[in-house]
Amino acid sequence: MNNPALAPDGHSVYQQALAISRRYFLGRSSSVGLGAVALGMLEANAMATHAGSAAGVAGSGRGLEGLPHHQPRAKNVIFLTQSGGPSQIELFDEKSGLAKLAGQELPESVRQGQRLTTMTSGQQQLIMPPRTTFARYGQSGATLGNWLPHHAKVVDDLCFIKSMVTDEINHAPAMTKFLTGHQLPGRPSIGAWASYGLGSENRNLPEYIVLISKMQRPSDQPLYDHYWGSGFLPSQYQGVKLRNAKEPVLYLRDPDGLPRHLRRDMLDGIAELNHQRLQKTGDPEIETRIKQYEMAWRMQSSVPELNDLSDEPEETFELYGSDSRRPGSYAANCILARRLVERGVRFVQLFHPDWDHHSRLISWCTARCRDTDQASAALVTDLKRRGLLDETLVIWGGEFGRGVAGQGKWDSPEGGRDHHPRCFTLWAAGGGIRPGHTFGATDEFSYNVIENPVHVRDLHATMLHLLGVDHERFTHRFQGLDFKLTGVEPARVVREILA
Amino acid sequence: MLFFPQFALVVACNLWMLPVSAWATEPDPADPSVARVPFSRDILPLLSDRCFHCHGPDESDRQADLRLDLREDAVADRGGYAAIVPHQPELSALIERVTTADADLLMPPPDSHRTPLSPAEIALLQQWVSEGAPWGKHWAFELPVRPPLPAADEADVSGHPVDAFIRHRLSSAGLRPSPPADKPTLLRRVSLDLTGLPPTAEELDSFLQDDSPHAYEKVVDRLLQSPHHGERMAMWWLDAARYADTDGFQGDATRTNWPWRDWVVAAFNRNQPFDQFTVEQLAGDLLPDATAEQILATCFHRNHMTNGEGGRDPEESRIDYVIDRVNTTGTVWLGLTLGCAQCHTHKFDPISHHDYYSLFAFFNSIDEDGRAGGNAKPYLKYKSPLAERAVDEANRWADHCQQREVAARSRAEQQFSHWLSDQVVRIAAGFTPWQPLSITSLQAVEGTVLSQAADNSIQATGPHPRQDDYQIAGRSELSNITGLRLEVLPHESHTDGKWSRGASGTFILTNVKLQVRRLGESQVREIEIASAIANREDPAKARNYGNVKDTLDDDPRNGWTAPWDASRPDHPFAVFALAEPLTLADDEELIFWMLHRSTDGDANIGRFRLTLTDQPGAAVRSLDKMPLEELAAALGGLGAERADDVRAANSSSSIEDRLGAPLRKRLVEQYLFNHPEYQVAKHRSDRAQRQLTNAKQAAGELNVMVMAERQQPRPTHVLERGVWDQKGELVSARLPAAILPGPAADAATRLDLARWIVDPENPLTPRVVVNHLWQLVFGAGLVRTPEDFGLQGEFPTHPELLDWLAIELMQSGWDLRHLLRMIVTSETYRQSSDVSPQIFELDPQNRLLARGARFRLPSWMIRDAALRTSGLLNPAIGGPPVLPYQPDGVWEEIFMGRLTYEPSPGPAQYRRTLYAFWRRSSAPTFLFDSAQRRVCEVNVARTNTPLQALTLMNDTGMLEASAELARQAIAETDSSAERLTAIFRRILSRLPGADEQDVLSRRLQSAREHYRRVPADAAALLAVGESEFDDSASDPAEIAAYMVLASLIFNTDEAMTHE
Repeated sequence: MNNPALAPDGHSVYQQALAISRRYFLGRSSSVGLGAVALGMLEANAMATHAGSAAGVAGSGRGLEGLPHHQPRAKNVIFLTQSGGPSQIELFDEKSGLAKLAGQELPESVRQGQRLTTMTSGQQQLIMPPRTTFARYGQSGATLGNWLPHHAKVVDDLCFIKSMVTDEINHAPAMTKFLTGHQLPGRPSIGAWASYGLGSENRNLPEYIVLISKMQRPSDQPLYDHYWGSGFLPSQYQGVKLRNAKEPVLYLRDPDGLPRHLRRDMLDGIAELNHQRLQKTGDPEIETRIKQYEMAWRMQSSVPELNDLSDEPEETFELYGSDSRRPGSYAANCILARRLVERGVRFVQLFHPDWDHHSRLISWCTARCRDTDQASAALVTDLKRRGLLDETLVIWGGEFGRGVAGQGKWDSPEGGRDHHPRCFTLWAAGGGIRPGHTFGATDEFSYNVIENPVHVRDLHATMLHLLGVDHERFTHRFQGLDFKLTGVEPARVVREILA
Repeated sequence: MLFFPQFALVVACNLWMLPVSAWATEPDPADPSVARVPFSRDILPLLSDRCFHCHGPDESDRQADLRLDLREDAVADRGGYAAIVPHQPELSALIERVTTADADLLMPPPDSHRTPLSPAEIALLQQWVSEGAPWGKHWAFELPVRPPLPAADEADVSGHPVDAFIRHRLSSAGLRPSPPADKPTLLRRVSLDLTGLPPTAEELDSFLQDDSPHAYEKVVDRLLQSPHHGERMAMWWLDAARYADTDGFQGDATRTNWPWRDWVVAAFNRNQPFDQFTVEQLAGDLLPDATAEQILATCFHRNHMTNGEGGRDPEESRIDYVIDRVNTTGTVWLGLTLGCAQCHTHKFDPISHHDYYSLFAFFNSIDEDGRAGGNAKPYLKYKSPLAERAVDEANRWADHCQQREVAARSRAEQQFSHWLSDQVVRIAAGFTPWQPLSITSLQAVEGTVLSQAADNSIQATGPHPRQDDYQIAGRSELSNITGLRLEVLPHESHTDGKWSRGASGTFILTNVKLQVRRLGESQVREIEIASAIANREDPAKARNYGNVKDTLDDDPRNGWTAPWDASRPDHPFAVFALAEPLTLADDEELIFWMLHRSTDGDANIGRFRLTLTDQPGAAVRSLDKMPLEELAAALGGLGAERADDVRAANSSSSIEDRLGAPLRKRLVEQYLFNHPEYQVAKHRSDRAQRQLTNAKQAAGELNVMVMAERQQPRPTHVLERGVWDQKGELVSARLPAAILPGPAADAATRLDLARWIVDPENPLTPRVVVNHLWQLVFGAGLVRTPEDFGLQGEFPTHPELLDWLAIELMQSGWDLRHLLRMIVTSETYRQSSDVSPQIFELDPQNRLLARGARFRLPSWMIRDAALRTSGLLNPAIGGPPVLPYQPDGVWEEIFMGRLTYEPSPGPAQYRRTLYAFWRRSSAPTFLFDSAQRRVCEVNVARTNTPLQALTLMNDTGMLEASAELARQAIAETDSSAERLTAIFRRILSRLPGADEQDVLSRRLQSAREHYRRVPADAAALLAVGESEFDDSASDPAEIAAYMVLASLIFNTDEAMTHE
């Protein structure tokens, strides 16, 4: 068995037992992991035992047997989640014709009965032209609004998907779908799927880590922990939130007055007693417990070390911008994200809240751009110069886009935009993504996709593909069904955006 | 991959192949000694998993117009051939298509990604067809009949029905049961299973001393009668009922449905028959002359999440809630994955799309409108009889804390004169309330040039960008910075001589930030500003420019501005109070950010001055003169100009006499503001008061979300593809006939649904309930997919036993306690859980129960056990939720500071986990592998991760329990060995062996050595938690050492395990 966390040490009798428990654990993995037929069927007996103990852990090694399905293009993922729905109209999706249509009613032929939120369903849909000016950048000639000056410098490394589509018009369902493939809570997040299937390269850190920007503004859209939850997968696959607090991981810090050498001593005592218990009871789960306590010990050093940026040169902070000097900022989290992939953490997810710009887009959206523009671009630059971009898939995007009609007065600085699920822009870079490319197109109102729609589930299929996983074959049985990240509707790998 | 016992039978081991009983195999009518392939167990799951997706009940995906879920279709002539020709596998197209070498014809098709049939599975299908392809129903849809008890063999001396079935099966597999667990293990096991609490030392003594033949049964009866039994059962039910104290979406508003939780505890404690328990929760409001409690019971189906997100269509939410009710009902009572039929006919089970919405109709006319927060009608106005106790408790605690605060204040005030005298000396020569910042650098991001003027003000010149962020860095000699003042100054270079160079001359400051940077370091420290006040503000509503406090958020849509008023001589200033006093090291500087990012811009401050103070409290939270400023003025009035004069001429008490009461009061307040001991006491007292306020509120009339029917029922439509506004054909409330035909259509109500669920003819409910009970005490059910008894679920490990118990449950009058008593008094339950490697390899999942169940306890039980073990447990039943310890900031992070988690003070801290406030967006952090309470969950998750280890090592509650155990052990005896043994026995309910004692003594000794050497560590360690202990009488190093020992034992595998 290839699980280092479970490698038996010295108990030959239990070696076998441990190996079996490992097989049983693997057996829960549904359609993957079919090695030897006999073994597979032995596993099958254990498959649906929710009561069985899963032995997988942070840093548990190589994930499920049979995975990856093919040679991966990306080893790691950094998902820069912009929560609230950034406006594609201001930032990415240039529609120069809208200036002429300013203040006009959006034609019904375009709107086609699109549902609105109850915030704007009672008002006229009057076109609000973009509040930014656009220009072409780089060799690829990608267009960008002027609120993202730092993005402009790295466009040739990015691939813009301007034809993203989702089904949900409200935040929580849309974000839940964006991150778990389904609008209702209960499914595993994409990071959980990835760490479940592929395991981790790092034995001292969890395989899925979540970083949330520290903001002072009370959030209208809480970041529910099901966004990085494990759903029906065992809970060790849920994202571990690295907090900007004295205690970066919950319960990581030993209490005041308990020095490290005493903690070590205590852990040795626990291990001794547990070994004695193992001899008596014969339950190999105890072996796993011992290893988990050791892993906890290692995490107590590895996480603070990771979190401490004092070994970063001054130049790093210059690259990521002045906000990166402020721990907990999006920019500081971008530096952490790079450090995490350097340490082999499979899936890193950043959340930056407050992109829900229903009013005063002109100041509100620029504020969020300032928080994120330089650091997002710097992350791509930094990964590239360190040779990490090739194997790291970076995704930037939110749960939906924003509508062309103004919310509030279209011709006043007070104006904002309502949610829009039918199209939005997202960019991806590195990890097998075709650089300097723009894919998909929307109509002249940035309202409907007219070319190459990419549904959220297509994005998921593509992300898994880059990680070496066939989304059709990567399933988990729960309640009698084989669940996939991409759900039951057809989903495709968007090969056109692959390098 | 699916559970296929028959395959293991062929290739893996022989445990499964032995004929078990008439129930699961079908004797050949011609020759009863020949076991035939059991259709329900071995064939139907195969057909379901590999074929039904395209050849099953759902016509939308049906291929080739072929159904394999109906025998008449499967054997029908399809123009010269048939899928199945009974007795003739070689003529059956089904067999041909699963064996063909032609990939285009092979079933299941390779591109379906369904698991291919294995040779053994194909062989089974062939054998079954040869035997005539006998058909049958899925086992769970057959009415259970009470099977005869298997004949006792020599191993079976108990005569216990459970043992009869289990042992019969074991002996068929050539296995024997394990010997009984020893008494301490058994007592701990059964106490945890039935009450969720370990035995006390006295209970253990009493059981060990009781040699009577029915000692164990007496214990079982005591436990079942304990009020904690109802709490334990409620924890099971609350997970299934997705009970929580908040809505779960958007604002995640708090609800007051906890009286329902207490109803559940009470129902279990009076052993309410499960059929009534069911009927009242599903339809208590429809019972004739329904009591308030029966209506309260219907909160069960209002426990779903609710979404009050702005812009959301409430009807969409309402549909979600109805769907949740259907799915939850299916999971909890029927063990069916009804949710699969929301979008299309169930792929495997006989529930059509139409059936689903016929069930939906039962819940579609609740008098609700899809709203959340305080608008989630229908409500029951309810006053909880259990709330007064919480008020009394909170009252007593508040009194206690207040007394301590008064005492602390009077102690503190004794030193006031001394402090005052120091202040007088200090300010004798005058008092400067605000000290300038010594500027070290001035920058502006967008190019404004900032320069310092002679009067310490800073002037903006040069480029004039629309928006700009100023960064002012500087140092200060003040040792304790408490606040910062920003003055906005007019200047002739500004527009009309006003405050800025913008078109209107006014200013808008959108945000400020305060940071500290240490020289040579790249990162800064962020300094929290607690409040902001200003002498002049534009009165503004939420998102407009005006209020200075809006400079403290990250929102550029609001901020500070002031109207220009030439007649006012004062200029605008704002005072920012720091959350904590700040001391700068010699190599540290302060950085103040001023962000001008207003919507229109062009309002950057033109001239300003920054000053600092070290005066606490009111000095930085009001605009009044600082107390010391007033004191200085008063002293000036006294004519005292030099400190020596003051000291010589005025004793501080005489100064006090001459101050006047109002100023004295202000000075006392300021003095107390920096008095740590008093502040601690005050903080505790404030929290106790807040708790009391909340408790009183909880004791009043509450809105509990319940069910009530609308006057006008809503029409119910099939929703196409499950989409809320895609209405298809009209349906009426009707029960799925494939399970059990219900009453005539149209007139059916929720009450009919409820009664149908507990109808003795309903094949599912009693089996599902028995399975839950089994899972509670064995850690896994007889059906290991408790949420799915359908075709894709697992086959029972002991089908006859399941049915026997199901019948027993109904015939006992749905008496859960009777069933539990029967299960836990079996010898099967009482076996030792130790296992040899050989047996482990044969049955790693312990399906055959040749040994007792060994599994990690639920995390709530680990916490409750620690509370009980340490004696900290507050055993009160019911009442408003409490807030156990969680790490700082867990709510703030999610809500960006809008909500703050404040652990319950006083005795409320030590309540059972059942009563812990459950915020859905942030479930209690000390729980792991717990149901999330977002949707119904009935299966058990048990993982093993380092995060759990960290929690049990470092959670405040676990550490406090360790400290408390240490204190008790030290109080009880002087002997080191006895102390160690006492702690060990309290936690593990047994005495340590010599090896264990040896390990623990060594660890104890090293801890003791450390704490003797470093007493400060002992003090720090013992300061954990809320409890107030006076450790002065004993040696803190000794307590700390035993605390480490106790924590070590709490972290052993055994302490967290059902042994």
